[in-house]
Amino acid sequence: MVRESLETLKDEFLSRIAEGASEEEVERLRIEYLGRKGKLTFLFRGFKELPPEERPELGEALNRLRQFVEDRLEFRLGELKQREKERILKAERVDITLPGSRWERGRIHPLTLVMDEIIDVFLTMGFEIARGPDIEDDYHNFEALNMPPDHPARDMQDTFFVSQDRLLRTHTSPVQIRVMEQRRPPLQIIAPGAVFRHDDDATHSPMFHQVEGFMVDSHIAFSDLKGVLTHFLRQVLRPETGVRFRPSFFPFTEPSAEIDIQCLLCEGGGSTSEGQPCRVCKGTGWLEILGAGMIDPEVFRFVGYNPDQVSGFAFGMGVERIAMLKYGIEDIRLFFQNDLRFLRQFS
Amino acid sequence: MKFTFSWLREFVDVKKSPQETAYALTMAGLEVESLASLGGQEDWVMEVAVTPNRGDCLGILGLAREVAALTGGRLKLPPVLPHVKGSGMERLVDVQIRSPSLCPRYSARMVLGVRVADSPDWMRVRLEVCGIRAINNVVDVTNYVMLETGQPLHAFDADRLATKRIVVREAGGIAKLVTLDGTERELASGDLLICDGDVPIALAGVMGGKDSEVQWDTHTVLLEGAHFDPACVRRTAKRLAIHSEASHRFERGVDPEGTLYALDRAVFLLAEAAGGVPVKGMVDRYPRRVKATPIVLREKRVSGLLGIELSRREAERLLKSLGMQVQSRSKIGARVVPPSYRRDLTREADLIEELARLHGYEKIPSTLPWVRPVGAGYDFRLQRERKVRAFLLGEGLTEMINLPFTSVELNRRFYGLWGDRGAAVSILNPLAQDKTELRLSLIPGLLENLRANLAQKARSFYAFDLGKVFCLNAQRSAEEKQYLAALLCGARGHRGLRLKEELAPNLRDAKGLVEGILEVLGIEAQPTWSGVGVGSFLHPGKAAVFGFGEREMGCLGEVHPDLCEELGLAPFLVVELDFEGLVQYAPRRLAARPLPRFPSVERDLAVVVDGTFPAQRIVSWIKELNHSLIEDVQVFDEYRGSPIPEGKKSLAYTISYRAEDRTLTDAEVNQLHHELAARIGDVFRAKLRG
Ligand SMILES: [Zn+2]
Repeated sequence: MVRESLETLKDEFLSRIAEGASEEEVERLRIEYLGRKGKLTFLFRGFKELPPEERPELGEALNRLRQFVEDRLEFRLGELKQREKERILKAERVDITLPGSRWERGRIHPLTLVMDEIIDVFLTMGFEIARGPDIEDDYHNFEALNMPPDHPARDMQDTFFVSQDRLLRTHTSPVQIRVMEQRRPPLQIIAPGAVFRHDDDATHSPMFHQVEGFMVDSHIAFSDLKGVLTHFLRQVLRPETGVRFRPSFFPFTEPSAEIDIQCLLCEGGGSTSEGQPCRVCKGTGWLEILGAGMIDPEVFRFVGYNPDQVSGFAFGMGVERIAMLKYGIEDIRLFFQNDLRFLRQFS
Repeated sequence: MKFTFSWLREFVDVKKSPQETAYALTMAGLEVESLASLGGQEDWVMEVAVTPNRGDCLGILGLAREVAALTGGRLKLPPVLPHVKGSGMERLVDVQIRSPSLCPRYSARMVLGVRVADSPDWMRVRLEVCGIRAINNVVDVTNYVMLETGQPLHAFDADRLATKRIVVREAGGIAKLVTLDGTERELASGDLLICDGDVPIALAGVMGGKDSEVQWDTHTVLLEGAHFDPACVRRTAKRLAIHSEASHRFERGVDPEGTLYALDRAVFLLAEAAGGVPVKGMVDRYPRRVKATPIVLREKRVSGLLGIELSRREAERLLKSLGMQVQSRSKIGARVVPPSYRRDLTREADLIEELARLHGYEKIPSTLPWVRPVGAGYDFRLQRERKVRAFLLGEGLTEMINLPFTSVELNRRFYGLWGDRGAAVSILNPLAQDKTELRLSLIPGLLENLRANLAQKARSFYAFDLGKVFCLNAQRSAEEKQYLAALLCGARGHRGLRLKEELAPNLRDAKGLVEGILEVLGIEAQPTWSGVGVGSFLHPGKAAVFGFGEREMGCLGEVHPDLCEELGLAPFLVVELDFEGLVQYAPRRLAARPLPRFPSVERDLAVVVDGTFPAQRIVSWIKELNHSLIEDVQVFDEYRGSPIPEGKKSLAYTISYRAEDRTLTDAEVNQLHHELAARIGDVFRAKLRG
């Protein structure tokens, strides 16, 4: 009889607890079954009235039921708490399409970016950096580079003067002289910096930047010049860039070369897809990018080297020109207007 | 140098198309800048950029020689009318060279009965296609022959020469000459003149004189074909700012052996185009024969310099194709004599260039040289620059690159960190009147950038410039230094939803930048900060200079309210520092320290002090105690207002205590802190709070 009522009580509890949908309801059930006046407590009280031989067996059954009820109540409570937590977390969900939040970053100037790329290619080839003054003397800027006072090559470089003999360097080549005056070969050096020409239009700025480079040792040949510069151009531009070397003239190199790359816009074809001549290379398919040559023996004599014992190459390039080709910029003045709308494009 | 393809073909049998010829010239160092078809005439006009060393290619003949060498075509010369032997010329004209070093050769011929008129159409068209204005048949013939041969010729109206005694001399005392463009030229004593007796009639190699010019009524023409010193012509032309076709050629070197052919060719054309009759004989004064000296060309040098092996036969063939004579051969090499028209070839290196050029640069292989480990690669200064740039970028500043030219006024107001030690460097030939000096400071450039960007509706402007500034020092010699300047204007740009509160930067943000830069450079020394001696463009109360010892390293502050008003801007901040100087304080090496073994204990301390009391004084005083248990001290708050009395402020510090060998007890720290607080109270007459 008691045993039966235990079974009934268990079934009833199970169906009640399944309905209990909140922590409060579960708490109420706990009181209803396990409280001082609870249904199980009541059974425990009736236990004393049972004959002694039935007590151990029933006592055990009763205890098991109480444990069962307690476990279920606890389990149900955990379940409900978990569900509630999930509900709250779900309610906290944010709109992930709102923008991220961050402070505005600054930008490095595109000329610095390109300059750094150029420098890094040469540093990895074992070159070192040398610097020279922006205000130069006539000797280092012209004369020691084999451009005596009445040389027509001086026409190619309109000069800003600060005094009779002092000027703003028109190229970074004087660094070559300054280094060679101080040191002996082997030398493998690049000299980046600002240079100045008395000129101002869409393709010329009174200030622009160059990287001069030179290598002097006992064994340097024109073929090395070709190799180093071809490697450099393919690193800085595209690995498949076509490069061509053709003879030219600079007073401080002999033989001299002008180096062209295949036009980056029309890829050397010289015309647009509509058959118009390419506006970047003016239809030639090639763009001048570097000047170079084997250092003239006269220059070696100026710095006290014996031209029969050493040889070397030198080259110079315009950083703005490379940046313009690389990024498709058509007006050099954009670099110096420093408009944030322009500068922010280089991230 | 512009010319037509048909004209070139009068000098050489061109075997290739105009395009192929242009390519061959370009790849041989005579860059063809344009090649355009001449409408309907089956002809092409070509323009070659002739480098300054190739004066010989400023005539079609020279280019024809190149084409012949490059493509194997045969050279030929157009017809001439040589002089008939006789003394006619000698009786009519006398020529005397007084400065043979400046005029090594003077040749002349004379033509009578010339009828000056327009040139025949074919000549006019050619001249004009090649960029030379047709004038009359006599002048046109001289220009035509100059284009052909590269030899400038000048035609005088012989009837207008009073004495017919031609004297080539330096100007000396002769002061003036009216040139044929009608300009009166002031002469310098070194200018070379052609005179008729004592009367100047031409600036030698530069421009003829007005009075002896060929006119419509001219009957007798004296044709001059001379050779002048390049440097002398250049000096005169440059000083007088005359850039004539003649001076352009003489400066770059004309063939001294070419005068007679050019004159004979001109006489032929004058007879044809102007009906002239040549006078018998000619004048040819050649006091200084320009002789080519043989050059020794060593085979080893060729292969060493070019990185290729050229066979002896091939080298010889290439040199001969350029008109050179190979005189003799020895084990070392060959003796080579260049032709008279190649005055640029004087050294072995010049010959090697010719070999490389004709062999073809594209046939020389590309190699990488073996590079010696000279310890290059890491450049300390470059790496510091890069680190500081990266730091500033993270702080929201964008890099600007400005030109160094500025005005006298801006230099007077923004004098950088030079103080009164120096004056600005002036440009003698500035591009504009407001760009006559080199900047003393980077700030004016950033101000201009600020203005331009605000005009483009930028909401805020955070920028820096790492560039050079220039100054004349006390010895009047120019100094240059790399500075770093920064400008902070408006609330720092933020991406995302709009911030509830946008804070404009203040002085401490600027100081934070400087501290950050010092940290990035690894400089541990604390600079001294002072409000004394700040520039007049800065707010007198919200600005500072800083330095190490006596050496001023930089300044920062809010710009002066007057300047803001002038610019129509809200207050903003600037920083300028001597970057090059700072880098000298940067350590070359960093050494790591081990972590402390025992914990530290922190205690706060607040004191009420005078409103003008500098917070740093207490920090310095504590540090100078050199107490072994005091590890660090930092200011963390400054407060004014109730309940602090008017004119006073409260400063709060946090002090860290740590022992190297044990954990400090609370009691120990409390006692230390209590004693320290009491001493600070005494020393600074400060009231302790809390
Ligand atoms: Zn193109």
